[in-house]
Amino acid sequence: MSAAELLEWVLASLPEILVITGACVLLIVGQFVRRGQEHLLVWASVAIVLIAALATVLLAAEIRPAYRGMFIADRFAVFFKMVFYLATVLTFLLSRKYVDIEGIAISEYYVLLLFALTGMMIMASAIDLLSIYVGLELMALSTYVLTGFLRRDRRSNEAALKYVILGAVSTAIFLYGVSLVYGLTGTTALEGIAAAVAGQPLDPALLLAVVFIVAGLVFKIGAVPFHMWVPDVYEGAPTTITAFMSVGPKAAGFAVILRVFLNPLIAASDAWIIVAAIAVATMALGSFVALVQDNFKRLLAYSSIAHAGFAVFGVVAGGADGIASVMLYLLIYAFMNLGIFSIVIMMRSGDFLGESIEDYAGLSKWHPGLALLMLLYLFSLAGIPPTAGFFAKFYVLVALVERGFVALAVIAVLLSAVAAYFYIRVVMVIYMREPKRAFEPALTPAVRTTLAVTAAGTIGIGLYPAWFLRLAQTSVFGG
Amino acid sequence: MEFPLLSLIILTPAAGAAILALLPSDDAVRRVALGVTLIDLALAIAMLASFDTTTHEMQFTEIRPWVPALGINYALGVDGISALFVFLTALLGAVSVLASWVAIDRKVKEFMVNLLAMQALMLGVFSALDLFLFYVLWEAMLIPMYLIIGIWGGEGRIYAAFKFFLYTLAGSLLFLIGVIVLYFHGGETFDILALTARELPFRVQSWLFFAFLIAFAVKVPMVPVHTWLPDAHVQAPTAGSIILAGVLLKMGAYGFLRFSLPMLPEASVHYSTLMLALSALAIVYGGLLALAQDDLKKLVAYSSISHMGFVTLGIFSLNLHGLEGSILQMFNHGVTTGALFLFVGLIYERTHTRSIADYGGLMKAAPVYTAFLALFTLSSMALPGTNSFVGELLVLSGGFAANPAFGAAAVVGAVLSAAYLLGMYGKVALGHASVGERFQIRDVNGREIAAILPLALFVLWVGLYPKPFLEIIDVSVKHLLVQVHGTGAAHERGRAS
Repeated sequence: MSAAELLEWVLASLPEILVITGACVLLIVGQFVRRGQEHLLVWASVAIVLIAALATVLLAAEIRPAYRGMFIADRFAVFFKMVFYLATVLTFLLSRKYVDIEGIAISEYYVLLLFALTGMMIMASAIDLLSIYVGLELMALSTYVLTGFLRRDRRSNEAALKYVILGAVSTAIFLYGVSLVYGLTGTTALEGIAAAVAGQPLDPALLLAVVFIVAGLVFKIGAVPFHMWVPDVYEGAPTTITAFMSVGPKAAGFAVILRVFLNPLIAASDAWIIVAAIAVATMALGSFVALVQDNFKRLLAYSSIAHAGFAVFGVVAGGADGIASVMLYLLIYAFMNLGIFSIVIMMRSGDFLGESIEDYAGLSKWHPGLALLMLLYLFSLAGIPPTAGFFAKFYVLVALVERGFVALAVIAVLLSAVAAYFYIRVVMVIYMREPKRAFEPALTPAVRTTLAVTAAGTIGIGLYPAWFLRLAQTSVFGG
Repeated sequence: MEFPLLSLIILTPAAGAAILALLPSDDAVRRVALGVTLIDLALAIAMLASFDTTTHEMQFTEIRPWVPALGINYALGVDGISALFVFLTALLGAVSVLASWVAIDRKVKEFMVNLLAMQALMLGVFSALDLFLFYVLWEAMLIPMYLIIGIWGGEGRIYAAFKFFLYTLAGSLLFLIGVIVLYFHGGETFDILALTARELPFRVQSWLFFAFLIAFAVKVPMVPVHTWLPDAHVQAPTAGSIILAGVLLKMGAYGFLRFSLPMLPEASVHYSTLMLALSALAIVYGGLLALAQDDLKKLVAYSSISHMGFVTLGIFSLNLHGLEGSILQMFNHGVTTGALFLFVGLIYERTHTRSIADYGGLMKAAPVYTAFLALFTLSSMALPGTNSFVGELLVLSGGFAANPAFGAAAVVGAVLSAAYLLGMYGKVALGHASVGERFQIRDVNGREIAAILPLALFVLWVGLYPKPFLEIIDVSVKHLLVQVHGTGAAHERGRAS
């Protein structure tokens, strides 16, 4: 390994190095932050992410492979990293007040988020099953701890325990699949596997390995049949972490799925039937079960399952448009879902939990502005134009129809009509019920910023999707 | 590119809605909203005044790239088929504001913002020349309409709002798939004119025809997907009913005229008998239901189903008289039914009952009101001299030429409409003056007359001198017939009818 090569590698992974170094420094320095000065931690964390984002943008001009085929910094990775940065920064801003209320304002909270961010970044850039595993575990371990961060809350403990056990099982299954692949093909690099698969009829053992790997990855995005953890974890985790998990780790899971399954050679197999079945089942389950939820966080958990299902339809479509549609979907979903979560988070004040849907009754009377924003996010989640949520769905449908999957497209839209019901039910509660109590939302400047960013994204991408669409299309790997 | 008049017409209410949000008092909100709709109406009149009736080409066209990667443009334009609806929407916009002046007494600002947003979207739907743009506007209308019904509606408003929203959404989502399929079959473009020029294989046309049919039939509404309409109408505030009946229902029929017929001509011809049958069913069934109603608003709502049956009957008779009649009848129905809902609203504001049984002898208490009510009632039952007579006569003539059996069914519907409308008028306006003792009835005031007069004007104008209106639609309809039947056949059919 020459010095020049090493420099190349460092450059390729500079954003990851920056974040992980920053996190380590913060871990040490954080111990010396005095009481009442905790907000410095937030700004330091935000600064670390912004510096990494800057590095990512500056280095985005060319494709940089590194670490002997384990890692690549291409535009695909850059796109996903931008989604991760967005999710993480907004989570930091939302946490500012929330962690004070919950009494978890300690440096580990921010450090763990930064570790999780690093894990996600590695996942986006990984092109070898082993480096994927490293990123996956770094992200997963951090989120396990964050889920149980409300140490005195039974629901939080329960959620963390469930998450750890199920997560460990899924990781084990994933690893088993990887070991089978290695045994059969002699390599763990995605390209090598694709080359080994090409040209010969599909080995049943390899199919088994693929099923195991799928199972491990599908767990991370919360798709059926590995979705059971989602509602409990979303409900129990600190709401800021729920917001983060619904966007960041999920996008990271999709990044890996796209890399593994849309490898042109693997995509030639009939694996799409499995993926299509997963997509339909996921969307159906998420949409129908959400209909009967009264807890807003659980509702959003099932909504998140349904959205994952819709994005999986983009994976089914495959091809350049299919990949781009999933990427655009995840970006838009990050905006609208963080938007709706920021309202849930700010509702948390004093003894008011803001978790039941009924808690929002008559919000429009007290806070017309907040109610309007919620209306925007909810209609966007439901996929009604002119919001961004519509364009996200539209593009996935275009990709599906382009590949000739018209029947799947019809199923997808019918299920999203079902899903629309529970979103507009929340709108109904906000606008058409009488308020039961006064609202005291914690409208700090940080939360206002989050709301402004997410609202701008939700309406902006809806009205002017051209730029973002081009961004997603040019970020598709190999295209 | 010429002066962007259509954009101006669409953006005026949108900008007005934004301005309203900043105003402090309810009174200022009402005045500004009225001002905005009047400006918009003036612009629409200016558009009609400079409309060239000698060409079927799109006029006042504008085009700007929107999402170039998918071939999506911001493209606007009107021809003889859409021009009248742009005008009708602007007219009913002003009427709706007047109708809500005192009827809406809480959250006035929010209501007017929704109303103006709705108007901008509706105007956009009628002017869009890009399918994607059309769909976005078409579906975005669900949001303000859901809120108008759900927040300012009557007792069962929440149920009605949900029903309206989900019915329309489910219908239009299949339309969306149809649009995307059309996009790939039509050479990756959303340009409506380019797609119209494409010839699609019959199998594709058939699928698309039914995908479109579901969306449009829900909006019209055609039997059997009409059940959202009575709920929505009865629960909606007066202005909501006016917009629903006056404009929203026309969009389904407009969809048939703009998309189904020219883009899927063979399927349209092939399935026209089915469509005629459904139309005849709607005419008779809607009429029978209206006959059995005691609630004034429900009666008008069911009569709408019957009258919109005439419109679809005319469209799918696929001949000159039928098509011209149906377009004129859509305009007429907007004016007349809009007025009838306004009248129900006016009397409801005074008595807070819509039950016909509660009324009687209104003529003595409110002579001006009942006189105008008589005019619109007669118009709705298509008495000669009123607007609907011209439209219905053309539709019947076209309908008989296409299929005498269904034409005959339509005549039955016309008789039914005379029965329920005259029955309603007799019970409400004539008879013993019991109503004056039970309620304090005040006759219409200046503001209310201002809302009524323009509608009355069009009832008589179209009824007595329909030529200018038919001239606007004539050339475009003839062109549409050429698109449907091909050049030779259209000529023959035109003569036969």
